[in-house]
Amino acid sequence: MASSNLIIGLEIGTWKICVVVGESRPDGAIKILGVGQTPSRGVRKGEIVDFETAMKCVHEAVVDAEQKSDVMIRSVYVAVAGSHLQSFNNRGSVMLPEDRDEIDEQDVEDVKINAREVSIPAQNAFLHSIIQHYHVDGQDGVLNPVGMLGQKLEADFHIIHGVRTRIQNTIRCVKELPLDVEDVVFGALASAQVVLTQHQKELGALVIDIGGGTTDYILYADGAVKQSGCLAVGGDHITNDISMGLRIPMARAEKLKIEEGNCVLGNCLPGEAILLKDDSGFAGKEIERETLNTIINLRLRETFELLKRRLEEESFINYLGAGIFITGGCSLLNGIDNLAEEIFEMPGHVAHAQTASGLTSAVENPQFSTAIGLIKYAQAVQTDRPRRRFGGVLGKFFSGMR
Amino acid sequence: MIQLRKNYSLPEREEEFVAIKIVSVGGAGLSVLDRIVLDGLERADVVAINTDVQSLASSVAPHKVQLGRTATRGLGTGGDPELGYQAAVESAEEIREALAGARMIFICAGLGGGTGSGAAPYVAQLAREAGSLVVAFATLPFGFEGKRRSAQAQEALGRLNEIANAVICFENDQMGDIVAPKAGIHQAFATADITISQSVRSIVNLIQRPGLIRIGFDDLLAALRSRNGRCLFGFGESDSDNRAHDALAQALKNPLMDRGRMLGDATRVLVQVAGGPGMTLSEVEILMQELGRHVNEETQILFGTAVDGRMGDRLSVTIVSSFTADKDSIPQPIQPAQSSVPAMPPVWAQPQDASPKIDIEPEATPMETSQPAETMPIEEPAPVRTSRPQPSMPHNPEPRVSTPQTNPVPMKEGKPSPEKNVQAKQEVLQFEPVTRGRFEKSEPTIVEGEDLDVPTYLRKKIKVK
Repeated sequence: MASSNLIIGLEIGTWKICVVVGESRPDGAIKILGVGQTPSRGVRKGEIVDFETAMKCVHEAVVDAEQKSDVMIRSVYVAVAGSHLQSFNNRGSVMLPEDRDEIDEQDVEDVKINAREVSIPAQNAFLHSIIQHYHVDGQDGVLNPVGMLGQKLEADFHIIHGVRTRIQNTIRCVKELPLDVEDVVFGALASAQVVLTQHQKELGALVIDIGGGTTDYILYADGAVKQSGCLAVGGDHITNDISMGLRIPMARAEKLKIEEGNCVLGNCLPGEAILLKDDSGFAGKEIERETLNTIINLRLRETFELLKRRLEEESFINYLGAGIFITGGCSLLNGIDNLAEEIFEMPGHVAHAQTASGLTSAVENPQFSTAIGLIKYAQAVQTDRPRRRFGGVLGKFFSGMR
Repeated sequence: MIQLRKNYSLPEREEEFVAIKIVSVGGAGLSVLDRIVLDGLERADVVAINTDVQSLASSVAPHKVQLGRTATRGLGTGGDPELGYQAAVESAEEIREALAGARMIFICAGLGGGTGSGAAPYVAQLAREAGSLVVAFATLPFGFEGKRRSAQAQEALGRLNEIANAVICFENDQMGDIVAPKAGIHQAFATADITISQSVRSIVNLIQRPGLIRIGFDDLLAALRSRNGRCLFGFGESDSDNRAHDALAQALKNPLMDRGRMLGDATRVLVQVAGGPGMTLSEVEILMQELGRHVNEETQILFGTAVDGRMGDRLSVTIVSSFTADKDSIPQPIQPAQSSVPAMPPVWAQPQDASPKIDIEPEATPMETSQPAETMPIEEPAPVRTSRPQPSMPHNPEPRVSTPQTNPVPMKEGKPSPEKNVQAKQEVLQFEPVTRGRFEKSEPTIVEGEDLDVPTYLRKKIKVK
């Protein structure tokens, strides 16, 4: 079928819920047709805490997207986040029977199942099993073993799993609208699909998606996912810190952070102050700029240092050729790339979706990386499905859900 | 925080070592004792008491006492409590010797059989006569073991209740809940042993550990005091990132806890949080907050905390509590308390010399004699009493013969000293409020022992103004 294909990505974030309608062209290009978004309520730290309210917000966002793109939305790809998501690498292996030495698709399927035979906590479910590399009779770095000759097939997988009920909450929220859920995808994995190019994945790159409630990260090396995870700290925490530190309401703290905040210390004049206007427009409280920046800096510094410690548990972080890519709503903070450079000691970039066309205002906003990434992800999975072709690093994804 | 420091236990108190003995009576008790020894317990002596020489010989306990050399000739009692009692009386001198010198004695016994039901109350009595404080850990038989066995067990439990300072009672039937339905019966019994062993060890640790906020024996007794020996008990330990939450969840999972639902009815809950030097204040606070959701607002929380270098990264929570008045009355018909004992036809001949002992051992009397030994100053917290919300009831001289419904009320007022103490300690526990702002009601994000919901500058103590 040559005609193009509509894909809808839905991200239920802590700050905003956004629905991106994209068109997947047969040549692999993606065109964004419309973006619907609403401020999110009933979501904390990337997880739904108030089901009814969150559902209403999702509904509004979907309606918004339908109007803007003039498309009827029936099914969506949903991004999930939350501190319950965990990941690890595991190797599966199968031996071919004596009388056969050509690896076929069934063997690849078997090795995949084998790799998933690890114990995860009983209440958890597999979210993704992402192929890293195959090994045939000890030969490393095989990308597609089907048709190769060998006796022993091994495969390294990166496995992401999370608490079943919490993932199901997100799915249920969408299904009750009612919309079909095509798949659930780990947020950072989706973002990485559009933020990174294939070349950057090969070189090695770290994607940090700092959203409202969570900081998701995913590390690519040799073109494969090596580490991933989610830290339940995000922009909300910065706002909360500001609100408590400066004793101003949350809404004002949020505005102050976006308009005046900077992550880098020492670049403002001594005693430089920001004048806060009160509701009537008259001059209210004065806030020292350095104080504001210190609060932001301390929080982000801590978050990055935590991430660094987590990533340093394995050695991949030392071999990142392309550097760090920061995306998500919080990446709009001034100087966040400089701070990341300082802490991780490698180049840092604020990145937005690279490989899509269409509504440029949406594409160039890092807030939408995840939702656009979902479309890219879905495209990769869909082209992969009918022909069982091995498509780049993405490979085939299972959805452990539903 | 500085105010807290004033109330740290004095150094000499930390040095103090309470001599504890753990005594098992009968076969079931012995297997629990073996489990305790194998799990490792450095701060108490263990004594195994049994009629059956064979099982004694195979036990790993270092100190063993054989009961009834002539009465049973080294065999078991064949499920006859009368025989168990006679055997114990015969070996009274040896038991006394074995129990000598302990300030506290824990008795583990499986009730329902001969030695456990017959000898355990007698051993408890000897221990009390020797001036020790006695806590009994009793298991009731499975329902399928028959009515006679459970009647014998109830009878023995009633007598243990009269004699011991506190009884913690485990029902084997409840243990079934924590064992997978497919698990072998062997495993079911082993799980019961492990649970009891854990309880004993955690209570020993509770008392022996030098505490920042120390839990004394008086606190323990206050928490355990109940008419029918039904106690809630939970113990959890974890070393994960979110260890405070995990340890509490595990403690509430204990079969005696019923996932914390039972806690809602408790009048008094004793909680000890112990951890290595890495334990943080916010962890303790989160844990207590979370526990607070399970208990009533009026519930009095006896809180203790201890830092023990041996704990390493682990954090453990011990929760002890007893049922309240109305819960008490429900099992009353099946469970003969002492007042109803004479009314019920005894399952076996009532040992005559035990009954008068009850009269000279109302719970209040030994408590007072033991009070100075337990180093809890009585007079110091007296003014606090005036601030108690509930008006103190006049001391009821005969609480034990009144109806079970009203019983616990005078009971808890009857012994104000440990309680007042606790009130005073509670006052100290006013932590500096650590606010979490917007995240007040969400699941805490705890990474590497820090609550990330608290602003970074507050945690790093950096002045921002």
